Amino acid sequence: MLWTNFLMNVSTASNTAVDYFPIGIQLIFAVGFVATMIGVSALIGPKRQTSDKLQSFESGIESVGNARQPMAIKYFLVAILFVLFDVEVIFFYPYAINFRDLGWNGFFAVLMFVSLFLAGFIYIIKKGALKWED
Amino acid sequence: MNAIIVSAVFGVLMMFASFLVNNKNVYRYLAIIGLSVLLLANILETYAIWSIKFDSFLQLSFERFGLFFNSIAIAATLFYVLLSGKDIVRVGNYSAEYFVLIFFILCGVSLITSYNSLLMLFLGIEIISIPLYILTGSDKKNLKSNEAALKYFLMGAFSTGLMLMGIALSYGAVGNFGLEGRGVVAFGGSMRVSFLEVAGLLLLFISMSFKASAAPFHFWTPDVYEGAPSVFTSFMATIVKATVFIGMIKLLEARTGIFGPTWQIILPLMIVLTLAIGNITAVFQQSVKRMLAYSSIAQAGFMLFALWSANDMGREGILLYSVAYTLATVGIFAVLVKMKDYTFDGFNGLAAKQPLVAASVAVFVLSLAGIPLTAGFFAKYFMLASAIKSGAGVWLLVVAVVFAAVSVYYYFRLIQAMYFKEGEAEMFEQPTNSFKGMLAIFAVLLIVLGIAPSLLFNYLYF
Amino acid sequence: MIPVLLITLPIFSGLMAFFMKGQSVKSWALLSSFAVLGISIWSLFSDANLLSYSQAWLPSLGSRFDLTMQDGLSKLMCLLTALSFPLVLISTQQNSSNQSPHFFALMLLTQAGLMGVFLAADALLFYFFWELALIPVYFLCSIWGGEKRIAVTFKFFIYTFVGSILMLVGILSLYYMQDTPSFAWSSLTANASKGIYPNWAFWLFFLAFAIKMPIFPLHTWQPDAYEQSPTPVTMILSGVMVKMGLFAAIRWLLPLFPKATEQFAWVIVCCSVIGMIYASLLAIRQDDIKRLIAYSSIAHIGLMSAVIFSGNASGMGGVMIQMFHHGVNVIGLWIVANAIEQKLGTRSLSEMGGLAQKAPTLSILLVVMSLANVALPLTNAFVGEFLMFNSLFKYNVWLTAVAGISIILAAVYTLNMVQKVIYGEVNSLTEKATDTPFNVNFSLVLIAILIVVMGVYPQPLLDLTKDAVTQLFAQQ
Repeated sequence: MLWTNFLMNVSTASNTAVDYFPIGIQLIFAVGFVATMIGVSALIGPKRQTSDKLQSFESGIESVGNARQPMAIKYFLVAILFVLFDVEVIFFYPYAINFRDLGWNGFFAVLMFVSLFLAGFIYIIKKGALKWED
Repeated sequence: MNAIIVSAVFGVLMMFASFLVNNKNVYRYLAIIGLSVLLLANILETYAIWSIKFDSFLQLSFERFGLFFNSIAIAATLFYVLLSGKDIVRVGNYSAEYFVLIFFILCGVSLITSYNSLLMLFLGIEIISIPLYILTGSDKKNLKSNEAALKYFLMGAFSTGLMLMGIALSYGAVGNFGLEGRGVVAFGGSMRVSFLEVAGLLLLFISMSFKASAAPFHFWTPDVYEGAPSVFTSFMATIVKATVFIGMIKLLEARTGIFGPTWQIILPLMIVLTLAIGNITAVFQQSVKRMLAYSSIAQAGFMLFALWSANDMGREGILLYSVAYTLATVGIFAVLVKMKDYTFDGFNGLAAKQPLVAASVAVFVLSLAGIPLTAGFFAKYFMLASAIKSGAGVWLLVVAVVFAAVSVYYYFRLIQAMYFKEGEAEMFEQPTNSFKGMLAIFAVLLIVLGIAPSLLFNYLYF
Repeated sequence: MIPVLLITLPIFSGLMAFFMKGQSVKSWALLSSFAVLGISIWSLFSDANLLSYSQAWLPSLGSRFDLTMQDGLSKLMCLLTALSFPLVLISTQQNSSNQSPHFFALMLLTQAGLMGVFLAADALLFYFFWELALIPVYFLCSIWGGEKRIAVTFKFFIYTFVGSILMLVGILSLYYMQDTPSFAWSSLTANASKGIYPNWAFWLFFLAFAIKMPIFPLHTWQPDAYEQSPTPVTMILSGVMVKMGLFAAIRWLLPLFPKATEQFAWVIVCCSVIGMIYASLLAIRQDDIKRLIAYSSIAHIGLMSAVIFSGNASGMGGVMIQMFHHGVNVIGLWIVANAIEQKLGTRSLSEMGGLAQKAPTLSILLVVMSLANVALPLTNAFVGEFLMFNSLFKYNVWLTAVAGISIILAAVYTLNMVQKVIYGEVNSLTEKATDTPFNVNFSLVLIAILIVVMGVYPQPLLDLTKDAVTQLFAQQ
């Protein structure tokens, strides 16, 4: 009984939920429409399966080889490290704009941030993460 | 704030040590020194003697309870490193990095015990989780370890998503990330808690139950605990799990009653489910490690009582529970790591070969089962008493204690194997005297706390 | 002061015994148990202010380390515990289990736990000792027991653990029902008269005690456990440990739940009486001497539990002295059984015979013990049994009639056992048997003297338990 109360609370107790009602309706319609169209076309459309049709499409050229080739793990390492330092740079943009307003406090905060990154940078270099050849 | 900063600094220091120093034993000693300093710093802050202060813009708030738990977690980690430090170093090639990750986890732990905003909670949970994913997969040559890490990562990432969703919904309702915030909406002349906030907190609760491996969000636990190197399993099954419970308690206390009467159904249901799944499945395990994984689910069921009762006794109880459970589990795992055979039969006849080790393990097992004279009894006792103090139905307690009796079944199999069965319990290496000494200290601590649990709480209030 | 000594002395000597080597531990354990016996006898004559001890233990939980010999029942039970250990230790010197220091250490710890149960005046402390008495026994039985010892002891352990942990829930729920929560016996019973304790709490307590006694249908652990345990432990189990259940029912259950007791008494009395008949019938069919004594013990306990829940004051007095006497008698029977097993290497009745010719002293003592087991007049058991049947008769005539059958059945299985063991032809097995050594005879003669003296002159024990009975019935 209490559980149903909980459900009822949802619809009655908060008018926020009521606000979302049209969105919900639209959601149902959108999903319903797409599902119906795909379903109907699959049901009544003509089907003719040939070996050509089942091949993967490569701009009309005959497909060659396997797309899943092994790659050196180092690519991923470098890519991830790149993302890290890229994100670091992103933080400089807002800081550059607010440089004056934030004053010395802000400067020290950013300094700490950068020095942590620097520590990490030294670490990865010393560990040889960026060394390409073993 | 001491714990957060010092642990992060020591994490970075250990990182540098990894390429500056080449001796693996040095890492261990460095970690022990670091943990001691960390413990000292945290105690200094607890007694308001010295602390680093930053303006955290109300994102963090430091209270006696959280700081005290920090001390417990750090001290437990210190004991853990003292006991199994050699096995940590031996897991793989990156000995120093394991300690780095442990320091970072402690940083996350101290964040979770002091968060005052959901953002910090999220940060804390993530700082704990990501190093754990790595530690789980640290045995790189072992396929099971890889599988466990991948599973843990995928499931954990999903639960993190849920958590973010919950935080977002809560933010939408309240308008800030504050812990206390209560979003209200006018409804027919009265104010009601916003539906969005309830939904958000429910999601948050679910994702934290996932981290605490409470049923029905426990499915990752056995595989991950079994796959991970045993030393790290013991760490994540104890200190990390207890921390998540502290986080949950903080959250639910700040927003008491937000789930309304439904809470009286959801949580007891979860407790019963967790106890049932953990205990009953543990009965059928042949591997001690897997049994411990399921038993950790079962123990989480008992810890959930603290959430239910939400009173002082529950708070005290969860601290005692963390200590009792952590000491016992870390101790058993430390012995398990040294065993050649992880099944129950692997322990056959241990008492004859290693009387002190077997006696300590027996005390750990008795404590986990909640037999009087061990800390585990009072841990369970506090949970039950706090629940009944808050007006829990007796049926819930009866169910809980019946499952406690079920747990006796599988815990005592270990005692039976060690003491009553003949066999050659083979170990990789003979335990050193210092190892035996540490184990004995663990056991003595458990018994002392089992006679006078108030020893622990005296420090909570002074 | 005395209660603390009774508990700490065995704990201390038990822990010491763990670190001892060789034969010295035997004398050490014997010395300790005699010291405890001395203290226990001292308690019978000492001042009241020496009989209780109270010390803050867990202030935040409202529990105190509160030990009291509050009435004759406590004294009597402590005396039984104190008396049984020397008897057991003396008479089982030759047993294979009695060679390891750990055995004696665990035995002494068991004694401490038992003493604690009989002395605790605080519910949480009581629970503590209730469990603690079990742990050493678990190890004792699992290490030195028979073939199936691990499984059987485990069954026993789980059974009792379930019961006691349910009792813990009961204790907790009672604790929070009071206006000013306290675990103290006095406070709990004082609140009971206000009738604030619900009936289901009664069952939570009762299960723990019923399993320990054991009452039909919760008795299934008992014959197995008695059979598989090493005999010294079996003596303690049946002589003293089952008294824990009876004692707890009298000390805690009746004062705490007077209403529920009245309301549910018929269920329990019926179960007990069924148990009496059932166990007696099973005892007749037993071939194993240990199992026979085990079932006979269930039958006797059944009568006591029936009277506890239905009886009047005189019946209660009978139960109390019978608790003591049954303890002594059954230990006597076990000693005989143990001596026979040591001599012949078998427990099977069908393989025995003619022991009267080969071991006359043992045979005479066996007959004395058996007659006491049948509760023949002039033996100690007769007084208690008479009082109990008298009281049961006032409760319900028909039940008494049914229960009375068990007296006849008791005669059947006991005398049948005597006949098979000591009479008949000497066979190849009993041919080599000789009379028992001095230590066995000594303890058996001691028990025989007790049996006869207490059978002829039971008044001292009745006087001793009088205050317990009056107090119990004053409360209701």
